[in-house]
Amino acid sequence: MSGPFSSLKVVEVGELTSAPYAAKLLADLGADVIKVEPPGRGDRARHRGPYPKNEPNPEKSGLFLYLNTNKLGVTLDIFRPEGMALLERLVADADVLIHNLAPPEMDRAGFNWERFRQINPRLVMTSITPYGLSGPYRNREAEELTIWSQGGLTYLNGAGPDTREIPPLKVFGQQSGYQGGIHGAVATTGALMAQLRDGEGQHIDVSVYEVCASMLELTYVYWPYAQRVASRLGAKPVQPLEALECKDGIIFLCAIEDHQWKAFVELMGNPAWTEEELFRGRGRRTANWDAARLFVQEWLNEQTVQDLYHKAQAARIPFAPVSTMGDLLSSDHLKARGFFVEIRHPVAGTLKYPGPLFQMSRTPWEIRRPAPTLGQHNHEVFVERLKLPQGELAQLQEKGVI
Amino acid sequence: MAAAPLDGIRVADFTWVWAGPYCTLQLGYMGAEVIRVETRTRLCVTRHMTPMADGKPGPNRSGYFNQYNQNKKSVSINLHSPEGRAVAKRLALASDVVANNFAAGVMDRLGLGYEELRKDKPDIIMITMSGFGETGPLREYVAYGPSQVPLSGLSALTGYRGGPPLHAGFSYGDPNGGIHGAFAVLAALYHRARTGEGQYIDLSQWEASVAMVAEGILEYQMTGREPERNGNRDHWMAPHGLFRCKDMAEKVAGRSIDMWVSIAVPDDEHWRRLAAAIGRPELGTDPRFATLAARKHNEDELEALITQWTSQRYAREAEEALQKAGVAAAIASTNKDLFEDPHLQERNFFVELDHPEVGVRRHTGPPWRMTRTPSGVKRPAPLLGQDTDEVLARVLGYSPEEIAKLHEVGALK
Repeated sequence: MSGPFSSLKVVEVGELTSAPYAAKLLADLGADVIKVEPPGRGDRARHRGPYPKNEPNPEKSGLFLYLNTNKLGVTLDIFRPEGMALLERLVADADVLIHNLAPPEMDRAGFNWERFRQINPRLVMTSITPYGLSGPYRNREAEELTIWSQGGLTYLNGAGPDTREIPPLKVFGQQSGYQGGIHGAVATTGALMAQLRDGEGQHIDVSVYEVCASMLELTYVYWPYAQRVASRLGAKPVQPLEALECKDGIIFLCAIEDHQWKAFVELMGNPAWTEEELFRGRGRRTANWDAARLFVQEWLNEQTVQDLYHKAQAARIPFAPVSTMGDLLSSDHLKARGFFVEIRHPVAGTLKYPGPLFQMSRTPWEIRRPAPTLGQHNHEVFVERLKLPQGELAQLQEKGVI
Repeated sequence: MAAAPLDGIRVADFTWVWAGPYCTLQLGYMGAEVIRVETRTRLCVTRHMTPMADGKPGPNRSGYFNQYNQNKKSVSINLHSPEGRAVAKRLALASDVVANNFAAGVMDRLGLGYEELRKDKPDIIMITMSGFGETGPLREYVAYGPSQVPLSGLSALTGYRGGPPLHAGFSYGDPNGGIHGAFAVLAALYHRARTGEGQYIDLSQWEASVAMVAEGILEYQMTGREPERNGNRDHWMAPHGLFRCKDMAEKVAGRSIDMWVSIAVPDDEHWRRLAAAIGRPELGTDPRFATLAARKHNEDELEALITQWTSQRYAREAEEALQKAGVAAAIASTNKDLFEDPHLQERNFFVELDHPEVGVRRHTGPPWRMTRTPSGVKRPAPLLGQDTDEVLARVLGYSPEEIAKLHEVGALK
């Protein structure tokens, strides 16, 4: 058996998270992915960590190692004509080109659809950029924090006593990058279906700003439907749906449906307060949650997290504990499903990585190789595949193009 | 003109709430015919959540439902009735893809399990997007999108310095599970187009969420310690945070709206640009701030200096001044800011179609554009059950008499 994309050839010109994640999704399902990095410094993810013992080393960045499994790695300065010429030769033979060069960089390199379609009209080219390739913000500078904020997601998060003066809070990690990547991979795969059918490629313009704004749940529509600003401040639209303290830690309560609430009331031993008119029905429970919370908290003070989690789940109430990294790595459930996979990297050593994002009955997810070291496959790709004479490779390396 | 990428693909959509509907929304954007199976006996939660158009309640008036079910058809089938289950099975077998986000085992109990369906249609593609997956000791456990945030490890890593674990502020497990589900379905469709083979996909929303925390998982192994919560700060950038601006110029519903600008400075060059933009060019070379190490060391002071400048400005003014100087800065948008944003409008991100009950509302469309194949939103979200008779007649070949009979016995409630 081989992966669903085992016939695909992909070229990635990507840094940090979005384009690398999109290409990883294809690579882990079988695609042959050549990752192009700038000579010298390489992908910015190599310089972010996390690192073993917190000692920076571009071959040991956890973010880079995770995002670049199953790829061949080459270095190429695409801002120089010799570099662009080699990139064109890679693209000529590819089904997909995925990149996250920012629009001003694209302009500077002459990296665009018009150029590549002439070389390869079957190509699917996917551009994942902060604001998209058109519109007044096209050339803006962006980082993970600013695009997540512009997309409306930080405004919804954060809490504390005088909340109005405590800043909205970014969620951990590279979430806009991951989401830009997976949304880009979805659009790319759609275009691959059309490529298979029509024999023609096309250009996809993915805006990470728009990706974030696509995930706002009910909060975006509060404006067009009710002319109200949705905020992290003030009451929630539905309760109980929040984290509260138990005796030994935090449990996340979720009992928003009537049958869940009923089961929770039973779990608490049917206390008299739950029969008050104030708490009958989803709407009133939500409106009067501040009062209900006091009663619930009193009961929670006597509970332990793991015990309550399993008791609630046995009654089909979707409570959840706050998992630590250690909890996840030692979870019997995740172990039984083979979720974490051990990968040996020549420099970074052996570590457990998150594995298959879903299990397909016929086409496996698999690790064939760890993330490449910088320029690891220059010889294999340029000399063996593109038939560049060995002497020319050495020359280009000397000039810093490779 | 070319056909849409998924033209001719039919999806029997048994999903509900948000994760599943977010998956099938993507397939609909690309031209698949998505037929959502609903029932009056148990309405989708999102049909009765606020906001309702103009504050008037009704199953067709929910902004939440109408956002994430654009392009779809709605058939009403009562899965508690045997006749209803027979209709549902016929629909599944007339489809290329069957999608659901029930807990493990539910589709089997409805007689709609993969093994059952593949007997009659070997190339069918089926996806279950459950909370914990179809195997493993916790397979019967249930999870909602918001609970995936603590479950996945994201909460443990998110929060103000020294404070407790916090949330993401939205039901992140849902769109994340749904979008990964859409990718899995597309991969299976691609495989089927090449080989004729169908397959079953088991997606655990928990696992798809844990993958978003990979850096934390690796850091724990690399350092032997749980990563610390660090507010909005970043180990490799400073300043890196959200800074208070003047309240929104107008009040909304009588309340003033707090506004913030986010700023991220990745290197010393960008720091010098920022210093100049806030009228303090000397800070660019000030030893307290000239290098990343110095800025990290004096970060409280650094943030106070920037707040001095931002707090006297509207968020948009701060954003524009900093962007003009080449600094990554963006307002923390509210829904109102997004709704009014000229960039999103110029890029035709919004969809404004006439919905029979709520009229024209500005919804968001796909976050990407394709140059060759048409895609996007062709019709607004369906009224509850609006396509029942049409789908039963055209797609499933029931006669008008049979349909009337099914209504009569309560199979189509």
